[in-house]
Amino acid sequence: MRYLKTSEAAALLNVSPNTLRAWERRFGFPKPQRSPGKHRLFTHGEVAALRDALQEGLSISSAISRAREGLAADANSLVGALVSYERERADAAIEAALALRSVERSVEEVLLPTLDEITRRYSVESAAWAFAAHWAGDWLRRATRLTPPPVREVSIVVGDASRDELDRDTPYIRALELFLVRAGVKVLSLSARGVAGIGDAATVHRPNLVVVAGGHLDDDTVARWAYAIRLAVGPMPLAVYRRGAERPRVRATGTTVLPAGAGDAQRTLLELLESDQAIASSPPAAQPQVQRAARGSR
Amino acid sequence: MAFTRGRPALHLVTPLEHEAPAPVISFCGHCGAHPPAAAPSRVCADCGLGLILESRADVAPKVGDAFLILDRTLAVCAVSEAAERLLATTEPDVVNQHVTALLMPANAEEKTGTSLSTAVAWAARGDSGTRTTVVRPANTFGIRLTARITSCGAPQAALVVLE
Repeated sequence: MRYLKTSEAAALLNVSPNTLRAWERRFGFPKPQRSPGKHRLFTHGEVAALRDALQEGLSISSAISRAREGLAADANSLVGALVSYERERADAAIEAALALRSVERSVEEVLLPTLDEITRRYSVESAAWAFAAHWAGDWLRRATRLTPPPVREVSIVVGDASRDELDRDTPYIRALELFLVRAGVKVLSLSARGVAGIGDAATVHRPNLVVVAGGHLDDDTVARWAYAIRLAVGPMPLAVYRRGAERPRVRATGTTVLPAGAGDAQRTLLELLESDQAIASSPPAAQPQVQRAARGSR
Repeated sequence: MAFTRGRPALHLVTPLEHEAPAPVISFCGHCGAHPPAAAPSRVCADCGLGLILESRADVAPKVGDAFLILDRTLAVCAVSEAAERLLATTEPDVVNQHVTALLMPANAEEKTGTSLSTAVAWAARGDSGTRTTVVRPANTFGIRLTARITSCGAPQAALVVLE
């Protein structure tokens, strides 16, 4: 994957960097990622597609629409490969998507929409979904395994409350795990059914946050699992992911309900972890100073 | 009539004088600004939100004019800044939609209501003439606008200037 800085992308499109930023605000395209230093990084594929569309377009909007259509072709070809039960073609389609996008965006814009489209067309009881879900789970686990080791000093335990591989939520949970691992977070994924020995696992992993993901298991089962973790390592923030929209009592306990999108959920979790660490690392200096001042005034 | 032995009369006709091609001018498809002749980019350097197109100088829009660019399928391709305000829309919202999402024919004299689509189709295929018709915003009654329709490009399209 080749990335371009704002100045490089602007030069390729023959516009100023300000114009490129104005397009991002008005049209949401090309959509940059951010470097660790928060600078914009554009994928070469998107910029090149837009450059070609601009040559033949009548407006920026129509050129962007055409460039987006070209990029959406990846999702269509992946749907075609999966409903034809062709694993090699599916691998090639996701590879083509990766040539134009980051892993995160390939998953969010191609893989997950493809799975949604297959469930919409064929239902989760179909053979097409069984094949697609298995392929997607395999691909996401492989991508997670190939990610470099975590660099952050934070870890998350994910309690998987989905039914099995054929659950609609499962690919989203695997995608969230992949995104977290790629963000440098240590992730331990366990089934939320198993309580025996969970304390040992939590003690070894020392999580900063617990996520309950998936909507298949009932609240009592999930609560027992979360309580077992809490007994082992003490109280810690809890977030729920794709537990269904009709669970208002979860919100009432102060638990964070994560957005349904894997990327949005990852960003929310990272913010939670950062704010949690900031609170933990802030020096408790204010209190002694006040006490000293109080003593001095006596 | 004077015919000689049943043979039609032949007359020498003077050749038609070829009209000099009308001068062409460039304009931005969003703000209507006229860039210098040798602009380095197709993107307008003034607003950065429109592509540079060409049209006959006498009918080209001016800065601040409300105009649309339509293709031969009558799909909206560009909406100027003033047209966005006039029609209460934004270009990204209506691009690729049919022109009737924005404008409806409103010529009381026109029985079939096809003058708008006919004029746009002719202009979009490169007809050099300029047609004028009356339209109204699609979601508003009681407002009449004069639409001046002519060809522009490239690629070939119809320019609809609202007055």
